[in-house]
Amino acid sequence: MTTNNGESYVTMRNLTAALAFASVCAFASAAYADNYEIDGQHAWVTFTIKHGIYGTAHGQFDAVKGAIVMDKADPSKSSVKAELDVGSVHTAYDQRDSDLKGPDFFNAAEFPAISFESTKVEKVSDITGKVTGNLTISGVSKEITLDVTLVNEAPAPWDATLTKAAFTATGKVSTADFPMAKAAAGFGLGPDVDIVIDLEAVKK
Amino acid sequence: MNALLGNPMVTTAAPPFLLGMVMALLARFALPPPVLSLVSAALLLFFYWDTLGPPVVPPVAASQKLIYLAFAGIVMGLLPDRLLGASLASKLVAAALAAALLWLGWRRLAGGSFDLQMIAALVAGLLAIVGAAMLLSLKASPSPPVEEPFLVPAAVLALCLAGAIISVLGASIVTGQLLGSLAALVGGWCLVQYIAVLRGGTAIAWNKGTELLLTFAAATVLIQVALLAPKANPVALMLSPLPLAVAALVPGLLRGLVPGARPLRPLVAGLLIAMTAILAILTAMLFAPHGAALGFS
Repeated sequence: MTTNNGESYVTMRNLTAALAFASVCAFASAAYADNYEIDGQHAWVTFTIKHGIYGTAHGQFDAVKGAIVMDKADPSKSSVKAELDVGSVHTAYDQRDSDLKGPDFFNAAEFPAISFESTKVEKVSDITGKVTGNLTISGVSKEITLDVTLVNEAPAPWDATLTKAAFTATGKVSTADFPMAKAAAGFGLGPDVDIVIDLEAVKK
Repeated sequence: MNALLGNPMVTTAAPPFLLGMVMALLARFALPPPVLSLVSAALLLFFYWDTLGPPVVPPVAASQKLIYLAFAGIVMGLLPDRLLGASLASKLVAAALAAALLWLGWRRLAGGSFDLQMIAALVAGLLAIVGAAMLLSLKASPSPPVEEPFLVPAAVLALCLAGAIISVLGASIVTGQLLGSLAALVGGWCLVQYIAVLRGGTAIAWNKGTELLLTFAAATVLIQVALLAPKANPVALMLSPLPLAVAALVPGLLRGLVPGARPLRPLVAGLLIAMTAILAILTAMLFAPHGAALGFS
């Protein structure tokens, strides 16, 4: 169809279509969760445990990988799956690191990874939540709950196409729930282990 | 004195050592051989339970499988003496150790990580199988030389002692404790029997059932150390099961090295048997990744 103002007519029609498309996109982005990949270079999985009748021992896993699905509209649809390389554990003392990798504790030769897979995510506030899931150490799974805070989510100042989110999580596990129970008790360690996780994740 | 009594090494070794002496005294004066097998089995289970904790159902990690393997060894060891001859005991222990090697190591084998430690573990396992089969195939002589009742206990003692030290230095404390307990138990037994020899008597020999269950238990724990202790010295691991085969050679190939003097014969035979274990211990200590101090970090 052509009119005197035919060109404007086509423009209006295109504009209407564009707005409709934008609305659909906006709805879609609200309805679907964002996928993140844990940034292993910016992940600190640390733990502390009582050392006998004395101090508190600190340790860290350096090699961390995993994926996070974050659904802000419906946090219950969010999920976390992460894996720690047992061989990367360190406590600032080589011999103790070897002991921890040995069969008495994390048993790296048989079970090279510790895994966590969420089963439930609950919103507490706009930036905090509780993530419950199965922590598997040396082939034994135990349900734990982590208190998680979304610290920030923003494009990187040096690269607008890179969006990162940062999380802090804390939780507690007991050595008594895992195969290391006997050895840990024998050496007066724990049984409570406090976990503090700080990590960044890259939006995919 | 309190520090000495509180030392984990002492608490690990002293009670089993005393129990070994008591077992030897009872065997000299009261216990018939089948009851000796039962007592050995009960003590073995006590050490496993005390060191590793109660059995886990189903066992997932290799350390959780050890107590089940001990049960299996006990079932074999409690077969009636008339059934359990040298030939059957030898075949049983070889088959059971081969199965134990596969069961304990299947996660590592399935992972396909054939690194130096895995190769050493397989060699140590094979040497343990061959050595145990050779040792248990020995038949009691009609008129046994004075050292004969010491051959199997000395081999088990040497293997356990080497394995315990390799294990602790290799970052596997619990299996080190378990092997240390077994070594102390057998050491207590040997001491009482040797005193009897010095006093002009004869030593009491283990029956085949006791030989089987204690040899099998010691070898399975050593295999576990070889497979899983992350810092265990590979050469020491391969040397540590050799006392079993050496002990089997004492009545034959090595007979000429055992002197004629009666009180010296068990000592020299024991020394020959312990030679490879001593080498294993020295190797483990000299090349210990964190120094030769035994203890937990």
